[in-house]
Amino acid sequence: MALKIWRYDAVKGERALEEYEVDAPDWATLLDVLDIVKDRHDGTLAYRKSCRMMICGSCGMRMDGAAVLACKTRMVDIAESGHVPVISAMGNMPIVKDLVVDMNPFWGKIRAVQPWLEPGYSDPGEKEHIVSQERMDTIHKESLCIMCGCCVSECNSMEADPDFLGPAALAKGMRFVGDARDRATVERLQSYSEEHGIWDCTRCYFCQERCPKGVDPRDAIAKLGAEAMREGIDSDMGARHAKWFVTSAKTTGWLRETELVPKTQGIAKSMKEVTFAMGLLKHGKVPPPFPPHVAKHVDEARALYDIVKQEGAQGAAGIVQSEHALARLEFVHESGAEERDPYGPDSFPEPLPPGEGAGQ
Amino acid sequence: MKTVAYYKGCLASLSAKELDTSTQALAPKVGLELVELEAVTCCGAGDIHEAEPDYYLHLNARILAYAEATGADTLMTVCNVCTLNLRQANHALRGDAALLARVNDNLVSVGAPPYSGGVEVMHFLWLISVGEGYELLKGAAHKGLKGLKIAPFYGCQILRPSKLLGFEDPDKPESLERIIAACGGEAIDYPAKIKCCGFPIIQAREDVALAELIQPIEQAKEAGADAMVTPCPLCHLSLDAWQSKLRKQTGKDFQMPVLHLSQLIGVAAGLDSSELKFKRHVVSVEPVTERLAI
Repeated sequence: MALKIWRYDAVKGERALEEYEVDAPDWATLLDVLDIVKDRHDGTLAYRKSCRMMICGSCGMRMDGAAVLACKTRMVDIAESGHVPVISAMGNMPIVKDLVVDMNPFWGKIRAVQPWLEPGYSDPGEKEHIVSQERMDTIHKESLCIMCGCCVSECNSMEADPDFLGPAALAKGMRFVGDARDRATVERLQSYSEEHGIWDCTRCYFCQERCPKGVDPRDAIAKLGAEAMREGIDSDMGARHAKWFVTSAKTTGWLRETELVPKTQGIAKSMKEVTFAMGLLKHGKVPPPFPPHVAKHVDEARALYDIVKQEGAQGAAGIVQSEHALARLEFVHESGAEERDPYGPDSFPEPLPPGEGAGQ
Repeated sequence: MKTVAYYKGCLASLSAKELDTSTQALAPKVGLELVELEAVTCCGAGDIHEAEPDYYLHLNARILAYAEATGADTLMTVCNVCTLNLRQANHALRGDAALLARVNDNLVSVGAPPYSGGVEVMHFLWLISVGEGYELLKGAAHKGLKGLKIAPFYGCQILRPSKLLGFEDPDKPESLERIIAACGGEAIDYPAKIKCCGFPIIQAREDVALAELIQPIEQAKEAGADAMVTPCPLCHLSLDAWQSKLRKQTGKDFQMPVLHLSQLIGVAAGLDSSELKFKRHVVSVEPVTERLAI
């Protein structure tokens, strides 16, 4: 088969698109093909690899502009179609050589979310603190991350704001916010809600599309947003923007567009937008707030709000996901695996003391 | 004629009325009879989903229920964000009988109809880019676009996540290109056509949003586009209305006309200016209308 590879020499700053023609078996993955190129055609080709079975996260790269794990990508269909794929390094990270990127910015962001358990005690005691499997299953998706960088490579917000924590780090953050044993939930949510955090996400869903492990990072970011707002950590403009949609729906039914700007940005900041707003006003893009555009039977939407405030699953537990997690919290409760609601008013339960865990 | 329940969403009801009038005028020409939903609310735009997840689910279930009550099997949207929010809720409700039962109890208790799961949420683009709708469209677009170079801009939430949307290849979509060709225009290709316009964070993180927004407009301009077309009124609002901010920030004055999908087809189908409502655009569409002598 034929493939083209973007070669890059960081020392010379030279970039070139090289084409290779290789003999590869039907079962070959992109990683196998790269191995053949390196072994038989050009030993100077640089790329990362290790496990070749989708678990080490080393071989993230782009094929035809889309981030993939090379070891997960079978080539036979592409070869048979006659298409010549273009292989390049991942995006949003500096290229070191050829297909190797500098992952230091990536690791810096992972570290910034404190990817370790904060159990709230210094002496772990003599026995394990056991959490039910069902409870752990609720953060199963976030736990699947192999930190390959494919999501980060494609993140539109990070392209625009290199300081954005990004999908991998925030999904890792949710993995700990959702962990029943963690005691730093509020601190985490406050930290993740700062500038370059949760509310920087532009919901382009590239991370969700590209993740080779089904982590669904955008869903994880939505869960963090929902948890932050449930905890009342909602002063960021992104959170205020979201709250105005709720207010609109339960008052007039439709978004009250014109009031969205001052409600999000505050009166002082939005006053600076007057010239811009006047430009839009000329073209009917600033609908007058009075009389409000009220949906028919809006009383139903108002009454539903009162009902869901009583009974609804709030916070991360309510987020509808592209792919269901292995377990949902309500199933955990039905199974009796855990008596207390870890997302309820008492927040997370204490870890089981020694001697009281399952199987004792 | 296929009868569909028509969900306008917030923007087409207010700041993007031109999307509604052109869609309503075009629909019968492409074989669609629209039954407009009146007793419905905002879908939440992803914001209510995050702020009050259960409320999001109930509001969308209520929209689906009212659509089902019309007797139609299809709920037609004209906005990417409405499409994803409604399809996501539909996916959740159809896949979980206990959830559907609880939500239905609540809908009925407030006087709304219950939802049985029988509605498919489809964007207008999807209904007219294939099959019978597409054949009718080819006939309806009799006035053509005189080879005008059009940059298709998809936006995000009509392509991704493909697990919930899945109409076409999210990396190589071609529905807009097919429609542009059917209307007698020339679709130009550029990498950012599937990327984000920045709209969801344009108020909370304007600088980040503008750095996203400039990419498609700049690339479309460089590729020689006479105009852009988008199936999403939120993309339209940022591409059209926020161009002046890009000029202020970067000094680049693109003057790129941006058309709603229904307007682009509407021009080729000879819709009246009172239905196209180009005066409601911030960036003038005159370069396009002059070329086409309309």
